[in-house]
Amino acid sequence: MNLILKKDDLNHQLNAWRQDYEVYAPQSLQNYTHFLPLQDGFELAFDVKAHNTRIPPKALFLPTSEALLKFTRFGGYEQIPSETSPRLIFGIRPCDAHAMTMLDTVFEQERYTDPHWQARRDATLLVGLGCHEPCQTGFCTTVGSGPFNHAGLDAILTDLGDIFLVETLTEKGEGLFSQLETATEEQSAQASVLQQAAAASMPIAFETEGLKEKLDQNFDNPYWEEISRSCLSCGVCTFLCPTCFCFDIVDEAQRGERVRNWDTCMFRTYSLEASGHNPRPSRVERTRQRLSHKYTYWVDQINQIGCTGCGRCVRYCPVGLDIRAMLRKAHQLPSEVAHV
Amino acid sequence: MSNEAHNPYLPIPMHVLHAYYESNDRSLKTLELSFDDPQDAREFFAAYNPGQFCLLSVIGKGESALGVASAAWEGDFVRFTIQKMGSVTTALHELKPGDPIGIRGPLGNGFPLEAWKGKNLVIIGGGCAFSTLYALTKHLHHPSNRGDYGKMTVIYGTRTSGLCMYKQDIAAWHQRDDMEVHQAIDVPEQDWLHHVGYVPDVVKEVKPSPVNSVAVVCGPPIMTKYTLPALVELGFTPETIFTSLEKRMKCGVGKCGRCNLGPKYICKDGPVFSLADLNDLPADL
Amino acid sequence: MPDLDALKAEAKRLLDEGVVEMIIGFKAGDTPLHPQPAFFKTVEEIDRLVYNALCQNNLATYLTRFPKTQKIGMLVRGCENRSVNALVIEGQHPRDGLYLIGVPCEGIIDWRKIIEKTGEEVISVFEQSDNTVLVEAKSGYFTLEKDTLLHESCARCIHPNPISADIVIGELLPEGDPTLAREQVAAFADLSLQERHAWFRQEAERCIRCYACREACPMCYCEECFVDHVSPRWTESGTTPAGMQGWHIVRAFHQTGRCTSCGACERACPMDIKMTYLTEKLNQDMRQKYNFEAGMDTKTPPPFSTITLDDKSRFIV
Repeated sequence: MNLILKKDDLNHQLNAWRQDYEVYAPQSLQNYTHFLPLQDGFELAFDVKAHNTRIPPKALFLPTSEALLKFTRFGGYEQIPSETSPRLIFGIRPCDAHAMTMLDTVFEQERYTDPHWQARRDATLLVGLGCHEPCQTGFCTTVGSGPFNHAGLDAILTDLGDIFLVETLTEKGEGLFSQLETATEEQSAQASVLQQAAAASMPIAFETEGLKEKLDQNFDNPYWEEISRSCLSCGVCTFLCPTCFCFDIVDEAQRGERVRNWDTCMFRTYSLEASGHNPRPSRVERTRQRLSHKYTYWVDQINQIGCTGCGRCVRYCPVGLDIRAMLRKAHQLPSEVAHV
Repeated sequence: MSNEAHNPYLPIPMHVLHAYYESNDRSLKTLELSFDDPQDAREFFAAYNPGQFCLLSVIGKGESALGVASAAWEGDFVRFTIQKMGSVTTALHELKPGDPIGIRGPLGNGFPLEAWKGKNLVIIGGGCAFSTLYALTKHLHHPSNRGDYGKMTVIYGTRTSGLCMYKQDIAAWHQRDDMEVHQAIDVPEQDWLHHVGYVPDVVKEVKPSPVNSVAVVCGPPIMTKYTLPALVELGFTPETIFTSLEKRMKCGVGKCGRCNLGPKYICKDGPVFSLADLNDLPADL
Repeated sequence: MPDLDALKAEAKRLLDEGVVEMIIGFKAGDTPLHPQPAFFKTVEEIDRLVYNALCQNNLATYLTRFPKTQKIGMLVRGCENRSVNALVIEGQHPRDGLYLIGVPCEGIIDWRKIIEKTGEEVISVFEQSDNTVLVEAKSGYFTLEKDTLLHESCARCIHPNPISADIVIGELLPEGDPTLAREQVAAFADLSLQERHAWFRQEAERCIRCYACREACPMCYCEECFVDHVSPRWTESGTTPAGMQGWHIVRAFHQTGRCTSCGACERACPMDIKMTYLTEKLNQDMRQKYNFEAGMDTKTPPPFSTITLDDKSRFIV
């Protein structure tokens, strides 16, 4: 159902939600925006310095560091209760919300479900804000997402000047906006035109057809060395990525906790074994893992590219590496010659 | 409570029943662990299949992935043989009978024992990776299992005779008439009655028949690398050759990301793969 | 701005005459704000060499990746030249295996300061001769004063000229004012203990431990970083206050007498964390207590790297 939320009423609406939820929305922090819980007198920051928050909202579900277990005095382990207080994330961009649905396939599996992830997901509603002016480094439409993609969202807002058009996408989403008046057909049509124009304004960054096969078939190609030559092997691209989820588990003996911290395939220590053997000893193998994970392994696993095109890795790479250019270059790789 | 039962990061409380050195250089130590709660034991053994592994947990040090070295019928304990390598395995070596310990598992797929029924089994191991093959052999020896399988051939190589694990049992295996055992060491030693040479060469010498057979190979990467082609040369098809893989692991349940081999996670989809499976996966080991 | 053609000509000559096997420089990036470090091995490749005020990396960080026997050419600004010198002192590459093409540096533009003014959709950036920068952005054209865009470490740079390059392309620039360099340290020192701690916390707590600062730093070349050491563990993992403190303080201390004030750590940080106030304090201590500045020659080792048997402080030997 399409509804109308007047921008003048937005803060009132957010405050109303604060009665029932901890409401997170993008707010300015230093030179960037960050999802922070709304406090009295909050100021929202949508288009201030970036479309997207610097850190993707995955961090609200998989924090940079969190305790998994506590050690008991008698040599045992105690669980850390999962957070279950209701939360609402307002203003999440479609690329980031889409990524949440991909991460669900990792953390909520039949055999093994991550209790912390699941508890937070179950307790959190996602109200998205579509991108009527898509960002320059973003390439969501290239990878099967889009500036108004609905995946993962309970409702999505379209900015129509003085008003937001609200499309509720789930029952929970409907409940959030039950007080609002219905949009006219004209308003819905206006939003629809805007949404299509936004998607159409985004150039296709690279061809995805045949990309997986090219990458799969050229595992040992010098291509990987070429694209990773200036890579610093830091964690910027993966830590700021909304679909990257790798973590390390470490015992903090002094604190008496077993904690998990974000980790990344770009670090040397990530795959380093106790024997000294490292299957991915250099930037070449590590870059190959990062790109292949997103563009071939995810496709094998869930039949979707594991990238929603948010563009953070492009924008914040300290040496200016651009995954779009890397993937355009991949199309020049040879195709496997059919065996006779 | 229901949440607790499903938390895949929570170790099962156990304690050390027996701890003894397995090799003369004290680099290998076997721990036999028993469950603090009989319910945990029932759940463990209902799920356990040889070839699976567990994460052994030392408080303040961390966890280490180790293949299970015992068969379910041996009793309400779980055996692991640990090579002293990093900080966690060093801490595991220091454990004494009665010490508390946590384990998570059984994890991974284990050997496809159902699919192997009616087949001859060629079991090839090297070094401490033989532990899961020991569990497999013990499992097969149980009278209710032995009849389901054909001929059994075990080839087990170690660098020296002192590094050979499970010596008493293996000595007894030589006396059994329902299996063939070939032991090997890398370099000659006085009074050694068995093969001398590397495992791939011993395999070529023993020449196990590929007819209605499956081969399972567990050993150090270099041994596996040369043994797999040796088996192919003997006529084993990739679908009948199995191996167990190792990579650095943390979560053990397919979430932390690091043990992937292409789209497969060794912890969740493995550790046992057929050579046919591996031929379709990138060489990222 | 140095003459790009002259830079290219020298680079081509070095490769053509076999003086070096490779030249480390920059090439145009895939986005206008981010030129990329590049490794040129043929004369033809040199046509893609670029150099401008957006080249934000300290190229010396790549030096330790290559064999010490390799003849390497490198584009060096003042700070890069000093970093190379510091690496030579630490035995990371023989000086005679290097050919340094020096460029007097007018300062690196902080791309974040551009997008603060223009919005993030930048289409092109031109440096103009009157010390302004013309930025074409989706939101329009902007003429910005270059001085307002400089990265902080560049605004307070004392030594913009390459001090020991094999050739210098471009006019030498006047040295910077050393008092400027000390302003930040002095301002920080004037704060109360509580204020200093609050400042440190505010900066460090945004850290996500991606180690971009470490990887961007030429002097952080350890095979195994102290934070990655398992037994014993030197510092807490993760983004807890203790973990942050452990990382940021010890990282800075490891730079004592080695940091050349290039600011690459801050430029690489995805969370805009200020860190040079720590290293600059140590640099000031080194100047005041030991009359030492890192990288000013290829002979004088950092004071904390020298220990002799007759040392007055017997705590090590």
